[in-house]
Amino acid sequence: MVINVKLTNLLAYSSLVVRRVSHLGKHHGDFPYQLLLSKPTPLFHHKKQIQTVVPSTSTKNVTVPVENTPTADSLVRLDLEGLYEDIREGLSETQPELKLIAQYYFNGEGKAIRPVITMCMARAINFHLDQNTPYVLQKQKKIAQIAEMIHTASLVHDDVIDVADSRRSRPSVNIVWGQRKSIIAGDFILAMASKMLARLQNKQVIILLSQVLADLVQGEFMQLGARENKDERFAHYSEKTFKKTASLIAYSCQAVSVLSGADSTLQAVAFQYGRQIGMAFQLVDDLLDFIATSAQLGKPVAADLRLGLATAPVLFAAQKFSELNPLILRRFQEPGDAETAFRLVLRSDGLQRTKDLAHQYCNDAVTQIAQLTPSPYQQALVTLAHQLLHRMK
Amino acid sequence: MVSRNGLICWKTLQSGCIRSTNPVNVTISRRLCVSSQICQNNWVQAVSNAEKIVGLPTSFLSLRSEAIDEISNIAVYLKKLIGTGHPLLDTAKNLMYSQDKTNQTRGLLVLLVSKAAKIDQTQDILPKQRTLAEITDLVHAAHLIHTGVINLNTPNESLEMGNKMAVLCGDFLLARSCVLLANLQNLKVVELIAQAISDFSTAEFIDIVANETDSALDRWRYQSKLRYGTLLAHACQSSLILGDNVDLVEFGKYFGLEIALAWQANNEIQSYKNAKEKADHVLFKLFPPGTPFKEVISNFQAVRDTHVDAALQMLGELPKNDASLALCNIARALKY
Repeated sequence: MVINVKLTNLLAYSSLVVRRVSHLGKHHGDFPYQLLLSKPTPLFHHKKQIQTVVPSTSTKNVTVPVENTPTADSLVRLDLEGLYEDIREGLSETQPELKLIAQYYFNGEGKAIRPVITMCMARAINFHLDQNTPYVLQKQKKIAQIAEMIHTASLVHDDVIDVADSRRSRPSVNIVWGQRKSIIAGDFILAMASKMLARLQNKQVIILLSQVLADLVQGEFMQLGARENKDERFAHYSEKTFKKTASLIAYSCQAVSVLSGADSTLQAVAFQYGRQIGMAFQLVDDLLDFIATSAQLGKPVAADLRLGLATAPVLFAAQKFSELNPLILRRFQEPGDAETAFRLVLRSDGLQRTKDLAHQYCNDAVTQIAQLTPSPYQQALVTLAHQLLHRMK
Repeated sequence: MVSRNGLICWKTLQSGCIRSTNPVNVTISRRLCVSSQICQNNWVQAVSNAEKIVGLPTSFLSLRSEAIDEISNIAVYLKKLIGTGHPLLDTAKNLMYSQDKTNQTRGLLVLLVSKAAKIDQTQDILPKQRTLAEITDLVHAAHLIHTGVINLNTPNESLEMGNKMAVLCGDFLLARSCVLLANLQNLKVVELIAQAISDFSTAEFIDIVANETDSALDRWRYQSKLRYGTLLAHACQSSLILGDNVDLVEFGKYFGLEIALAWQANNEIQSYKNAKEKADHVLFKLFPPGTPFKEVISNFQAVRDTHVDAALQMLGELPKNDASLALCNIARALKY
């Protein structure tokens, strides 16, 4: 039975690899960096990668590749040791109550997915460039911290905007301290992150991460309204997803590559990997909002619908069931709208197409990272893309 | 065409706010309103004259052409807030359409300091210094908007919408400031402005209550320094860094702090004069219980005047020119 499951996973994984190969010639995404793939033999690197990842099927011990290679988590565990302590320390020199609020979400319960990706990318790029300077790594660790701080500050503000009552199985900040103080604490976290950023003494890195802040707000504004024209809706959703989720990961990845001394081509690889992973990450999240149970996700099923948000599964479903369009436009506000939408999504191919799209983004991410010199870190970034897809199973 | 659209949105936004009424009286003790007529005339005169020296205030200019989507979004949602009594509407109205020139004067002061510091008065204010002036006003506006978020213990759809917009508008202005700031390409300036943001956030958590070491008045001074002083001090300091006026950088820092404190003291006096419940006003709490109204005013005027005088004395360090004279006039106008 167990072996059966694993075999299925392996098959799914192999088909993923095949699809990835068929993807190589494809134009992926519409961001300005993607045409900068100037490494002489990306295909060769790429093939080598495939061979190292996929275990031969003749091996007796059939396991999912994810378990065979070191995970990103375990590889950068040492780098990220004390991450939350350092952040809390950085937020400690202020009024006692502000300190409590600002530190509230840095209790180590978060998955720290952004710092893990950022540090893994940093290590992979450093290996690729043979960059061993200790202070470079120190600065890269700071970027991982700053990324987590920016993310958390935006969570604090989102909780007030969405009138949330809990996060990570605890009452949300706004419930404990009220909306006003929570918002101010969010600003404080951001200000401290900016100060940290300035101390890294790199102007380009500051420009990159300030763009993230602009993107986060813009994404939030985009989320306020649905596009009248249904043909524009998916592009609008993708752009919103980039700004709200992928931007932070993409620019953090690029920032650590800048600190490592990467040229613009290599920076583009880092950025693109972060972007594709970020997009896939959000698609999987949007999918799980429909299929996971409340307990698994820590929030109610179809919470997005209840917030009035039309995510990928709904947008795909609307292509089959046009009766969804008016519901999308009125943000599922009428009684029964959310239930109707939920039912139609399950009856359509919306979930499958969302999965396919997430696969595609992960494949593209793997293609990007395959251009780096093979290293355990590069490998872990490949594994991470696969783990992400496994969340959907 | 693009900027035209932006302007239209902007005007809709303004007129939407202007027509608004505010049935629920949400009092914000530090709402800065210079309403005494005589005082306002002095102030407006000094500020208007100063504007002629450094050109029109740049505040919010770039927003009108470059952030059309957000602005029109904000305009639509702000209109929905009319009648809800959410303070965001008043704040927005004051920020964009203030008659008494209290809210965009920080940028103007930064421009005047930039101009006054130039030995060669034929030299223009640098574009980077103008950007910094705009950042100063944007950051201050974000601060006002975010501190206007209100606590809601029971569900209230329209006020929740108001909070949502207040968070987004403030975030939008902060993000915009960060992008402008990053593009100034000066690490020290980024750090100084970030410190100002963390200071005014901290200020919201400070009580004005005497303790073992500090009197209530000391606490007021400390809170006002964090809330308004650091931003203006660091902005003036930054403009001199950007202008390469190495010798005057320290002057900028201390002048910015003193003028901010003088200004805030003056605002407190005006709002105390207008307050219906004098006993609820912060000034009342700074002096021993039972101090008569007139005595509170005169005592606090003395506090204000020490900061005005300190600012004036520092202005003596500047070269004599139109801009430094305008700064003196603005400082003096705070006394009357």
